[in-house]
Amino acid sequence: MVDDNGQLYTIEGVAAGMIMLMTAYLVLGATSVYTPGDTHISDMQLEQLGTDALRMMNTPVNGTTESTLQEIVENDDANAFNTQFLNFVNSKTGTERDNLHYNATITYYHSDVINNIHTTASLPLASNRNLTGGEHPVRVTEWVIADKQFPGSVNHPRAVLVEVLLWRD
Amino acid sequence: MTDDAGNLSIDFLAGFTIFMIALIYVATLIPGLFIGLQSRTIDYDAVAYRTGVILAEDPGMPENPAWETLTDDNKADVLRFGLAMSKDTPNILSPQKVDRFFCSTWTSDDYRSRVIFGDYPYTYNISLKVDGEPAIRSAGDVKPDGYGYIRRVVKVKGTSNATIDNEKVSKYNYISHDNVTNDVFSIHINCTELLHNETIKNPIYQINPLKDQIRINITDMEKRGNKTLNPVTELTDITIYRTKPILSNPFPPLVPIRTFDSPYVDSDSVPVSNLPVVVNNNITMIFPPGFFSDFADDTTHLYVFLNFTHMTPDFTQSTPEDLYLNNTWKEGNTWNVSKSFEYDYNPANVTQPELKDGVLEVAVW
Repeated sequence: MVDDNGQLYTIEGVAAGMIMLMTAYLVLGATSVYTPGDTHISDMQLEQLGTDALRMMNTPVNGTTESTLQEIVENDDANAFNTQFLNFVNSKTGTERDNLHYNATITYYHSDVINNIHTTASLPLASNRNLTGGEHPVRVTEWVIADKQFPGSVNHPRAVLVEVLLWRD
Repeated sequence: MTDDAGNLSIDFLAGFTIFMIALIYVATLIPGLFIGLQSRTIDYDAVAYRTGVILAEDPGMPENPAWETLTDDNKADVLRFGLAMSKDTPNILSPQKVDRFFCSTWTSDDYRSRVIFGDYPYTYNISLKVDGEPAIRSAGDVKPDGYGYIRRVVKVKGTSNATIDNEKVSKYNYISHDNVTNDVFSIHINCTELLHNETIKNPIYQINPLKDQIRINITDMEKRGNKTLNPVTELTDITIYRTKPILSNPFPPLVPIRTFDSPYVDSDSVPVSNLPVVVNNNITMIFPPGFFSDFADDTTHLYVFLNFTHMTPDFTQSTPEDLYLNNTWKEGNTWNVSKSFEYDYNPANVTQPELKDGVLEVAVW
């Protein structure tokens, strides 16, 4: 008589389970390679473009003048920022232009000595379209030394952070 | 009696499990083997990004002598293209590197092996548009519908130039009151002052006579001289003098070191081939990048001497002329150059180099 100790019943169930596990493992493993890379590339292109544009706006054209971005922050000149930033990010070497959208703010350190509140605060700088929540923007920043008094501090010149959310339709 | 149909032995189960684990492990490695080929778009974008970074943020190799100064005969020594002025100034491009990079003598293989890299023979299109320049510079093939792409916002260093016109001649009194047959006008290029200035320390804003193009225009020359004897004036020669003041000898003698034979005269579109040449109204001297670097360094004072000779209208003999362009004269055996025109950081004298906006695009497919 055959002893049935150490036997597993229903070979079909075991085999099917193994095949399902293997398939799920392969599928999960494969998608984890493709998806992040694809998203990263387009984000990276926008980030690079926005970072370049802010950096070039913060580079004076000669050794004796202020940078355009510094003048814009000091004068709170939204029109100049809009013109210059869009000119930088939308320019191509050919005749056609890109069509990017942005929302720019200035973030600064706010120190209320009387009430002992020390925090950061933001002011809107410029934008050419409002964020509705459906966009997928990237965030680019540039530190600017601005000779201007911001709320909460009498000290200037001071460093403020220009933050730009940049996206494509 | 128990029916043993549909049973599995534990030995088989153990063996099958080990086999499956090994199979799964190997199978998961397979996507990694093809990671470079899994998506062409991803791969091309990455190559374009890398090429853009090299061009915009790297000065290239070798640095000394700079790759852009190497001639076509020595192009094998160029290891890597890069357009940035230096590693510390990303996105600020050198005009000399840009000119050399878009030179038509480079082949597709040169671009592939020195800036695009990779084993795969990528096709590419690299283009640069600079504000104020009418033409777009480009290298490579026409772009197809799909390609990897990156765009960089850059600035390109401009060049300086000086125009010595009637206003400056009057302002600095560059008019001789001696009735002489030869007049000498000189321009002082003080490398020490230009490269070690206390205010202009950043190389992207400096006038660098050792690397940059230097352009000097002398205009309104028809207003010079009293023309009593109706002389014809010839530009006899242009000689570069050099001196190196040191602490123990602040005024060493000037030594002629080189001549310059190809100025543009009287608004001609091509430079003259040799001197002397008759001058009526204007002279433009364009010293190409690196012209002075063979015989000057950052402690050298350079003087560009223009020698004028006044002749009778039939060119048979020299004739004296009064009130002509002159700011340099001999005292004994030494030249007095105290009134030389200063090519310096004074914007009233010299149009200073400014950064020009540009956009650089790299497409790879």
